[in-house]
Order: sequence, then structure tokens, then C-alpha cells
Amino acid sequence: MEKEQLKQQVKEQIIKFLNLNNLKPEDINDEEPLFGDGLGLDSIDSIELIVMLSREYGINIQDPKEGRKVLTTVNTMVDYIEQHRTK
Amino acid sequence: MDKVVVTGMGIISAIGDTVAQNRQSLKKGISGIGHAKHFVSKYTQLLPFAEIDYSTSDLKKKLNITQSGATRTDLLALYAFREAIADAQLETSSLVSRQIALIGASTVGGMCLTDELYADANKKGENGSEYLLSYPNSAGAMFIQAQYNIGGIVNTFNTACSSSANAIMFGARLIKNGLATKAIVGGVDSLAKYTVNGFKSLMILSDAPCRPFERDRKGLNLGEGAAFLVLEKEKDAAGKKIYAEVKGYGNSNDAFHPSSTSPEADGPFLSMQRALQSSGLHPKQIDFINAHGTATENNDETESLAMLKLFQTPPHFASTKSYTGHTLGAAGAVEAVNTILSLYHQEIYPSLNFENKIESTGLVPVKEYGSKILNNVMSNSFGFGGNCTSLIFGKI
Amino acid sequence: MFIHQHICISPQHTSGDVDLDVLNPSANGQLTAIEPELTGVPAGLLRRMSKAVRMGIGAGLPILQQNKVDGIIVGTANGGMNDCIKFLNQIIDYDEGMLTPGNFVQSTPNAIAGQLSLITKNQQYNATHVHLGLSFENSLIDAQMHLKEKAEGNYLVGAVDEISSYNYNIDLLAGWYSQNIENQSFYQSKLPATIAGEGAAMFLLNNNAYDALARVKDIETFHASDIETVKARFKIFAEAQNLDSETTIFLTGENGDIRFNPFYHSCEAIINDITVARFKHLSGEYPTAVSFAVWLSVFALQNKKLPGHLFKTENNLSQLNNIIIYNNYHGLQHSFISITSN
Repeated sequence: MEKEQLKQQVKEQIIKFLNLNNLKPEDINDEEPLFGDGLGLDSIDSIELIVMLSREYGINIQDPKEGRKVLTTVNTMVDYIEQHRTK
Repeated sequence: MDKVVVTGMGIISAIGDTVAQNRQSLKKGISGIGHAKHFVSKYTQLLPFAEIDYSTSDLKKKLNITQSGATRTDLLALYAFREAIADAQLETSSLVSRQIALIGASTVGGMCLTDELYADANKKGENGSEYLLSYPNSAGAMFIQAQYNIGGIVNTFNTACSSSANAIMFGARLIKNGLATKAIVGGVDSLAKYTVNGFKSLMILSDAPCRPFERDRKGLNLGEGAAFLVLEKEKDAAGKKIYAEVKGYGNSNDAFHPSSTSPEADGPFLSMQRALQSSGLHPKQIDFINAHGTATENNDETESLAMLKLFQTPPHFASTKSYTGHTLGAAGAVEAVNTILSLYHQEIYPSLNFENKIESTGLVPVKEYGSKILNNVMSNSFGFGGNCTSLIFGKI
Repeated sequence: MFIHQHICISPQHTSGDVDLDVLNPSANGQLTAIEPELTGVPAGLLRRMSKAVRMGIGAGLPILQQNKVDGIIVGTANGGMNDCIKFLNQIIDYDEGMLTPGNFVQSTPNAIAGQLSLITKNQQYNATHVHLGLSFENSLIDAQMHLKEKAEGNYLVGAVDEISSYNYNIDLLAGWYSQNIENQSFYQSKLPATIAGEGAAMFLLNNNAYDALARVKDIETFHASDIETVKARFKIFAEAQNLDSETTIFLTGENGDIRFNPFYHSCEAIINDITVARFKHLSGEYPTAVSFAVWLSVFALQNKKLPGHLFKTENNLSQLNNIIIYNNYHGLQHSFISITSN
């Protein structure tokens, strides 16, 4: 899958998993921090996204701290998915 | 105003099915955390639990309960309740009085039967299971009420992990406000796939026995248990054994996040401060704290911070969750019993599995059993939803 | 204890422009609540809220935005049951695999009071009473004690329960509901069943008589499965209220279930000159439906009247000053509440 296509898909999945119903994929900037000041996600969201990575890409992250690094921005997520996906 | 005192206690937990057995385990540093024998889950072999030795059918036999619909939660509640009223020398026939209150607490209720609940809630069976009336959080208190036809105010709290601390506070207030002469207060929760998977999903279950206040802690262990205390006015307790006075209580909300405590630890700080205010005590007069001490990353750090803010040099403290696991809705009552045992016997029980201080706080829990002069002791319970409650018990 | 503000979200037109002359019908044995649009809730919280939490916030937040309170006390038998079943289904469907925690966190009944605190940054007393059909009454008792302990206090007290597939299916299997009856006619159904309802009602309570909407004069709760106990306790309660038939309504929780009619009829007989009204054809049955009855009582005392469809017996009132509520949940949990205009 092309990187741009994967980015679009990941953004759609973020919106779906986190019920971000007021957002569209294009509202999420590739480099914008997902947590804190950017999209304003919190610790529960980070776990929801770890589950999303598991269910959608077969990536199992056990340590929430490691998860937080992977989930810094859409770009970091996409890079990690490309390297570690099992499905 | 009349003092409210504790004249009876009952407990069943992973470290014993009587108050005396619980004390022996605490004195000897014997933890109840290990492999579960009765709890059925994918995690049974993967994670440690603080499970009560008896199977549900053992409990039914011991309690002579034959009616259908009684869940493990109901049975544990009744087990601890019976010890408490016998200890306080309450005639069971006296419980029908309008002046006898029963205040329970639970977060799991009949959801310990996760699979039955799944089938009933999704209407998998035509007629449903025998547990259709047993699922609510209130089921344990309703079960006890029905056994003894308790005539006064009956209530159930669910403020997550502070539930039974609030039940104790509410019972003491009922007596002080003249709405009951005696209140039997406590809580219960049994191991449930529901909560195990819930805490697992939050990634705060440890795969080793929990290590409260340890730098390298990895999370909590779930446990199960029930505990009840009999509260009454000191003047009505003449000639009885009196364990302690319920001297103060404080309740607050952290108002920060649904499942984690604020970095400033406002909620824990305020509940402890309000408990001190209501008892009329100064921070220096608290001799020991039974901490909430779940051994999660978030709790132990923020609770330490709150203790440092309020006490500057905190008194001796420990977490008995290293023995009983986290018993959720029962934790406030289980730990009230443990705290009162310390006070009554003038001894402190060590927090287990501690080696290294958390760098940012530098606090060290009690590591060894020992005698100690104790006049006032505090027990903390903090829960999801920001619900924080602290209780203070004083020597009589 | 005086009521100064009240907001009710229900299956009827009880929030915004109140109109009780129009009776919304039930469908498939359910009366579902009309949800108002929420304002002042951060989007980050809103996206996770279940209907129970949204209703609780919808009824409670406007009161909290106008008043500083010394406590938030919520009664709810079930809290966010829909999240509970979503999480439960995840456990089974994913065989205890990796699960999303959002539903678990939202499913705890204290999420409603917790989120009201969180949104308004209120760090005061916060409690959630979950004692099934007496959850709301116990919340009132909690507030009543607080107002003795701290006379100048202000408390937000309320109740919320939602219909979810979860509790609806369980209660249907348990034989409490029927899908073949409707709220316009269920008092005459002669069936051992009723219809499900849901809603949220929140009240601002303090000791200030001035400008109050109404007074909660007395509350009594108990458990009993026999009619004699109920009759004996109601007799004592009613006598203490000095009821005047020209100014009093007896508002009962009659819900069409023939198993509970004898309880209500026996109490009606004890005060047989008092005009009887009923409310469950508006609210449906749910564990905290009494909160709807209290809202309705305050509304009636303010407006000095109620629409005709609420009355069971001939309306003998010359003026309306007192309402006595009796509710019976599952034939086991009973409450009497006395509400007066001053």
C-alpha cells in the first residue's frame, strides 16, 4: 500500500475508534501531535489506538509507554505500521 | 455530639475468612496473591489474583443457602456480614427495627457471572438464567436485607474503588443525624471477567505480585472480598468491645480525568484534608495511613505527592493491597478492618514487595511488622470518576 | 430542604418548553427519552458519553453552570448500561483479547456524577447511590443530612437511568415488561407487566425557604414484600403529614402491573378522601422514576394544576399545596415522599 493511502486509512481508523465524529481525515495533520496540545487525546485514547493497531494491523504493543512513542503523530504511526504490520 | 464507634467487624478475603485470620496473615506477612483456583478466565494462569479459598458451592454450603440466584458476590457479603453482627452481639431478630441501617457497596455486583450475564443480556436463552435479579450492584445488600428483613435505611454505593469507604462514611452520618441507631456498613466484590478484562484493557494489571510504592511497580492485582463493620453510638455500646471511633471522613472529587488522578493530586489531598477537618485533628496527630496504594504508576506517585503536600513528613504508611489484592468495591471496608486492627492491637503490618523508593517522592512504606503506639489512623480509597474518600479511626 | 431549580429529561415534553397536555406514546413497550442538545461539554468528553451520561449532563450541567454547589449526588441503578454491554460483548467476542477500555470506564455508574464534577471542576462531595429502586431516594437522604451538617450548603441531587438492550432484555426475561402494551392504556392492561422508561431529573437543594419552588418535607424508604408492612408504615407516614383533601394530591407509581396494584390501592384506601394521580404513563418504569415524580410534583405545585390525564380519581382540589408520592419498585422497595409548596 502507498504511504499516502495508508495515512488516509489510519486517519479514518483514528476517527472511527475514538468517535471523533466532528472530524474529517483531512482535519488531522500528519505532523500534528495526537496527544496534549494537538488533537487533545488522552491516556484512554492511547490504549484505544493500541487496540486498533492490534485489530487492524496485527501489531501487539504491550507497554503503554512504548505505545505513546509510536502514537506521537500520524507519521510516526504510519512508519511503525509499515515496519511491524503482520496483516 | 455522641461518638460513633465500631463494635463489630467481619471480613473474608484472600488472607482469611475471619477477622482473626486476616490479622494473623498481616502479622506474618503472608500474602493472598497467587494462582486462582476457582476463577475462570483466559487470564487465570497468566496473572496473579487474590482469590478467596472457597468455591462458590463451598460458600453456599457453609452459609446453608439453597435458594437459586445467589451469586458469589451475595455469598461473600453475607459471610462477612454474619461475622460482623455476631461480633457486635446483635441479635438477628433485632435487625428488623426501623433504626437498623444497612449500607453496602459494590462495583461488580452479579457481573461476576460474566458469561451468564452475556447470555441473558443478549437473550441467548429462551427463559434466561436463574440470576436475572442478581446482576445489579445492589444485589449484595438486597440479599442481606432479605435474609434478615432489615427494617431501616438500606443503600448501596458505587463510587468505583472508594465505594465502601463512602458506605462507612454514610453509615456514620446516618447515626449522627439520628436516622439510624446502628448501621452495618461495608462492601463486597468478587473476581469477575468483567473487571479483570476492564483493568487489563487499561494496562494496569501486573503479571507479578503488586509492589505498592515501589519505583519499579508494574500495576495492580485484582482480588475479591467482603467486609462489614457495625457502627453505633458510644453510649449504646456500654459493656461491648469497642474497636475504634469513626473520628473523621472526607470525600472529594479530583475533577481531572475519568480514570487517572491529576498530577497535582487534588482529589487525594482534599479527601485527606477534609477527613482531618471533620475529626478536628492536626496532620501530626495521624500516626499511620493505610494507603490506597494500588501499585499502579499513576496512583502511588500521586498519592505520595498528596501525602507529602498535606503532612510534609508523612506518618508511617503501608498498603495492604499487597496482601488482599485490589478488592475494588470492598477495598474501603477491607482496609478499614485492617486499619482498625492496627489501631486496636497497636501494631503495624508491613507493605510487601517494596525495594526502591520512587525517585520523585522518596517515600518508604512500613517494611516490617512491629508494635507501635497508635492514637489515630487514616485509610484512603480513591476511585475512577475522581471519587476520593479518606476515613480516620481513633483509639477509644 | 427546599428545591430551587429542577430540570427533567424524559420521554415527554419536560425540558425547554414544558407541555404535559400532549402525551407522547410508547413504542414496542418502551418510552424513550427526548435528548436535548448539550452545550458547554468539551468535545473530547462528549464523544465518549453514553445516553445515560448525556442525559445526566443535560439535566445537571445547566444547574451547575448557574450555581456553585457543595456536593453532586446522583442516584442511578445502572449508570451507563449500554457501555457495559458493549464491553461485555467485546470480552466474549474477542475471547478476552485486547479490548478497548473506553466502554469499561464509561460503564461505571459513577461516571455521571464524575463527569459533572470534571466538566465544572467541582472538587466537593461527590457520591453515586446505586441501590436499585431507591437510588434516588438515598441521594435525597444524603443531601438532607448534608443540609443538617452544613446549613448554608447547596447541593445538586438527581437521578438517571437509561433503557439499554442490556437491562431491557434482562428485565424482559425476568417478566417485568411486556412489548404488547402501551402507555395510553396500560393501567387497564390486567397483565403482570409494564412498559420501560428512562430519563434524568436534577434538582438544586438548599435550606433557603425564600423563593423556593417547593419543599421536600419528608422521605421514608424501606424494603418489604408484604402489603401489611406497607400499609402500617404508610398510615404512620400519612398521619404525620396532616393531609387536607382540598389541597393534597396522592401521586402513585402505579404502573399497570397487576401484581403491584394491591399495594397502591391499599395506600389509597388509607387516605381515601385524597385525590389520586399517576405518572408512569408519562415516564415509563425505571428504577429512578421517582425523580420524575418529584419533578412533576414541583411543576404541579408551581402551576397549581396538572392535566386531566394524570388523575385517577375525581379532582377535588380547591388549591394544590401538598403532594404525597408513593412508589413501589418490583414489589420490594418502597418510598414515601412528601412535597409541599412551602
